[in-house]
Amino acid sequence: MTTTIMRTTARVVVPIVLVLAISLFVQGHNLPGGGFIGGVLTVTAFTLVYVAYDLDYVEVGVLGRDVDDDVGMLDHRTVTTYRRMFTFGLLVVVASGLAAIVPGAQFLAQTYTYVHLPLFGEVELASAIIFDLGVYCVVVGGLLTIFSVVGNE
Amino acid sequence: MTALLALAPLVVALVASVLTLAVRSWPRFQRAVSVVSALVYVVSVGALAWTVVFAPDASALVYQVGGWKAPFGITLVADALAAFMLAVSAVVVLFTVVFSVPYIDPENQQVYYHPLFHFLVAGMTGAFLTGDLFNLFVWFEVMLMTSYVFVAFYGGARHTAAAVRYVVLNIVGGALMLLAIGGLYATVGTLNMADMAARLGAPGVDAAPVVGLTALLLAAFALKAGLVPFQFWVPSAYRAAPLPIAAVFAGASKKVGVYAIIRLYFTVLGDANVTTEVPLVGVDSPLAFLAPVLLVMGLVSIVVGGVGAVSRKRLDGLLAYSSIGQIGFIVVPIAIAAGTSSASLRHLGVLAGLVYALHHALAKSLLFLAAGTIRDAAGTTRLAELSGLGERSQVFSVTVLVGSLSLVGIPPLAGFFGKFLVFTTAADQFATARVAGSSIVLGVLLLGAVLTIIYATRVWVGSFWGAQSDRVELATLDGLQVAILVGLAAVVVAVGLGFEPVYQFADAAAEAAIDTEGYVTAVGPGGEP
Repeated sequence: MTTTIMRTTARVVVPIVLVLAISLFVQGHNLPGGGFIGGVLTVTAFTLVYVAYDLDYVEVGVLGRDVDDDVGMLDHRTVTTYRRMFTFGLLVVVASGLAAIVPGAQFLAQTYTYVHLPLFGEVELASAIIFDLGVYCVVVGGLLTIFSVVGNE
Repeated sequence: MTALLALAPLVVALVASVLTLAVRSWPRFQRAVSVVSALVYVVSVGALAWTVVFAPDASALVYQVGGWKAPFGITLVADALAAFMLAVSAVVVLFTVVFSVPYIDPENQQVYYHPLFHFLVAGMTGAFLTGDLFNLFVWFEVMLMTSYVFVAFYGGARHTAAAVRYVVLNIVGGALMLLAIGGLYATVGTLNMADMAARLGAPGVDAAPVVGLTALLLAAFALKAGLVPFQFWVPSAYRAAPLPIAAVFAGASKKVGVYAIIRLYFTVLGDANVTTEVPLVGVDSPLAFLAPVLLVMGLVSIVVGGVGAVSRKRLDGLLAYSSIGQIGFIVVPIAIAAGTSSASLRHLGVLAGLVYALHHALAKSLLFLAAGTIRDAAGTTRLAELSGLGERSQVFSVTVLVGSLSLVGIPPLAGFFGKFLVFTTAADQFATARVAGSSIVLGVLLLGAVLTIIYATRVWVGSFWGAQSDRVELATLDGLQVAILVGLAAVVVAVGLGFEPVYQFADAAAEAAIDTEGYVTAVGPGGEP
């Protein structure tokens, strides 16, 4: 699939997908979107890169690092990072749920506040976005681990 | 603050799974975290049971997750029934986690064994605690996702085949369940179980589809419980999964299906004002529909499981078939309870089912773990190659003897009270309604008891008596594993000897199961959000 057409399309599409993913993630707590959808879209962008180039492209082409070919895919540096991201996401989800108990609210309870920023004006800050961030990390980490390992076989 | 106790077991299981995942680079520490978490889980369940059942001012605990009031948010309801089921599974969970440490090889333990185990526990806990029908579906899925991985855990051809069968079957079951829940939501207009009970109990409610929709749910729950005609996944899945996990499947996660049937039909639909004509059955309420269907499923399960177990060549296969039959023993009194109009017999039936579930959880997990020790030591579970184990280790043999005798129902072990209450229920039913059906029920129960004696004897004669076979002579039994088995066997004996508080607990659970009004009042739906 590493044709010129595919690579050119990927170059154009990937940034758009990523921006859309972030906007869906940020608006998730009161509009359609959220950590899951944002995460899945992010995974789509990465998968496009993987399909157009190859699994090592992110390491070699983007980050300019060497890749150790001797280790199995599960211990590949990128995949290790994905797996850490998955665990981190789970930690964030559980911790954000438990954090609500400390001030005496119910498990998983959420709150929000408004802050006034210079250029943006009134901005809503919702605690739900922390939970969403955890979901996002779980989805991205989990799906990309699966895609990398299965794609490699 | 006490309301937090209703949440505690769930949070402990969730935190345990995340922690064991986070520390998996340090295998010894991970195992320690896993075992300690299981201990904390047991303590939290114990505290919950004390508050809900035994404390002087005991009452059901209700927790509104996220602060959203019932019926709009998801409610956790810890009544005596939920507490009883949690207590049963907590015992199984503790012993299997501890047993896994010396049994599963260290590398495999590190590969997600402990995180998945605690996710399985979280799924069971959530299913027992939730007061929301859709949330029940979610916890079922959590439980199933981890079960899929466990069935395929060893990754051989046989395990993969079993896992594929298991996945396909449960996806179909899950789809049926979701369909039924969607239909119930469209018909009744709520997913909160207490709210649903209140609405269906109101006079003049028009909810004719409820009987049919709950029949779909019954199929999904029976699939989970492994009742005939949904039993065919059981033997291959149990044999493919690691044996401690098979102990959890048979001991605890099957009981989730039984619990869901009791909760849905007795608590939610017990007072339902639904009248429909069902072809063949000719029925006027969901409970009256459940009675004949569940009775036939239970009786056929007893026969299929018993006959299957008698003819197995391997110990783990025998135990898998035996657990199909034992689930039959659990649901038959429940079916009798559903069919009767007498309040005391209904109470007795549910009580008998619950006590039998407790006994089966203890005895069957003990036997599955013992099968694990045998496989670990002798490298096989083929009964023909295992003669002479009795001579090899007397302590180990005694633990298996305790498990087998409890399964057969010898006093003073836990199994005696289970069998005794089941037969009391069937005899009471026979005494009140002298019809041919009642005598058939008694007859099949007796046949099932005889079959249990036959296969328990086969295990004993086949693998414990006689001269030591080559494999047994070379086998070395792991001391720590045997010690854990002795602990579990002691629990089986203790439950039998100190049956009074256990009976009190089960009695409260049965009372909570059939007390629709109490459940609705405790949750208190219909308030402002």
